[in-house]
Amino acid sequence: MTDRLTSLREAIEAVLPNVDGVLALRIGPGGISASHLFSKEHPEDLAKLALWPKEPVPDTLKIILRAHPDAKLAIVCRGCEERGIVEMFKHAQLNLDNVTLIGLQCEQAEAEFCRCAKPFTVHSKTTVGQSIKGVPDPVTEKIAAMSQPERLAFWKQEFEHCIKCYGCRTICPQCFCNVCTLEDEKWVETGRLPMANPSMYHLIRAMHMTAKCVACRECEETCPADIPLAVQFRLMARDVKELFNYEAGAVMDQKPPQLLVLEEGDYERSGLPH
Amino acid sequence: MIEYENVLTTCPYCGTGCALHLQVLDQKLVGVLPAKNHVISEGGLCIKGWNVHAFVNHPDRLKKPLIRKNGKLEEATWDEALKLVADKLGEIKAQSGPDSIAFLSSAKCTNEENYLLQKFARAVIGTNNIDHCARL
Amino acid sequence: MTTEPKIIGFLCNWCSYRGADGAGMARLKYPPNIKIIRVPCSGRVSPELVLRTFREGADGVMVLGCHIGDCHYSTGNHRTAKRMPLLKKLLEYTGIDSERLYINWVSAAEGEKFASVIRDFTEKISTLPPFRETMK
Repeated sequence: MTDRLTSLREAIEAVLPNVDGVLALRIGPGGISASHLFSKEHPEDLAKLALWPKEPVPDTLKIILRAHPDAKLAIVCRGCEERGIVEMFKHAQLNLDNVTLIGLQCEQAEAEFCRCAKPFTVHSKTTVGQSIKGVPDPVTEKIAAMSQPERLAFWKQEFEHCIKCYGCRTICPQCFCNVCTLEDEKWVETGRLPMANPSMYHLIRAMHMTAKCVACRECEETCPADIPLAVQFRLMARDVKELFNYEAGAVMDQKPPQLLVLEEGDYERSGLPH
Repeated sequence: MIEYENVLTTCPYCGTGCALHLQVLDQKLVGVLPAKNHVISEGGLCIKGWNVHAFVNHPDRLKKPLIRKNGKLEEATWDEALKLVADKLGEIKAQSGPDSIAFLSSAKCTNEENYLLQKFARAVIGTNNIDHCARL
Repeated sequence: MTTEPKIIGFLCNWCSYRGADGAGMARLKYPPNIKIIRVPCSGRVSPELVLRTFREGADGVMVLGCHIGDCHYSTGNHRTAKRMPLLKKLLEYTGIDSERLYINWVSAAEGEKFASVIRDFTEKISTLPPFRETMK
């Protein structure tokens, strides 16, 4: 059996002649990898193809497609990145007509690092690697099992570490608004650290991520204070599944709940009075 | 032809030395990504690092020295500006002594430039009043 | 424990606000703890608005709108019905008592219901400690 790196290189080589570029990871100076646009003009770059650590490639794809709307591109995406691209497509951020998805299935160790429930792609026609089952998320379970005062104390302590770098917002593939609520002084106090409780920044962001978060955990990875940000989003995602039967990035033509007009059944599930 | 590149560099703002990738699309700076497997920053950045690309091509950025003449800032040549600074520093030193002058250095300079400035302060002017904007 | 809770009520102009009017016209008694803010539609009340109300020191927030199907803007209150249950969940996950946020539908004809809803909610909030203190 060939390993994933070799199969991925073969898959990229197969699509390379038909597209303007393939977005994947490349090892750079000092062994530090970054996303790179492989092109047919420079096939020798493929010798430096890398798999891990994952990078927020959906965002890079969006940046390139905004400048070149007619470009034919291919992108190597893991399960979470694929979901991110699908969600961006649903919110009219990019056009998928000219984009070829090459699915990269995660390995057990990678899925466990991300505590990922869905480490596999579902939309990509070309896939590389063996798809594995999701792994449980002990951190989310631990916080969900806490009592209410414990949870309050836990989050108060975590949010106190926040240095307001806005990294989680900036790196998030689903944060693409031109005007960000979090930069508005009306909602998020400026010039004060640690932030006052309750932390408006984190609560507003969690609310905005509802039904959009694709559980890629980029926010947690970039957080200099190591706040388990994805926990809130994952707990909310369970409720969205229950209320609207919606999972971010799972079904290509299902409307996100933000755009829904409620039907009789959806409304009853929300637990509101009639 | 699309040109997209991530250029690995070090954050210019402070002495921590976080690594970051500058996203360059068609020869233009478009954004910043943290470098995940870098030993110092480990994929994290602060708000200054995240916005490092913004100052490079900012219209407000000074490209030429300005000298205030008749209450208005006017563009000048480097020779003119350096002469003015040298004259004024010499004048102050002669009048009030070297310790009436202080130097504030920048984190956006290289180590070598900062070394030069402290050497200038201590050896040429003769004061220990030198500090740095990024004493974290 | 008896405290005087501060409650902010966001009332839809077309139904609940008229319902409050109706309660007053019918001389129905309800606790004076509620401060009413009239909004064009319950869908206008964004989660940010609710969160800021809490941050400013409210002990409880009510969002009252038209019954589903009666919205003046046809689907404005669908937004309320979609996001407020999720906001309640988020408050719960953050360790804030989700009872502090209350959503109900009160039509222009339901003055009686309005008064009883306010009574019940004020009673419930009175048993909780002041919000500011729980956040210290």
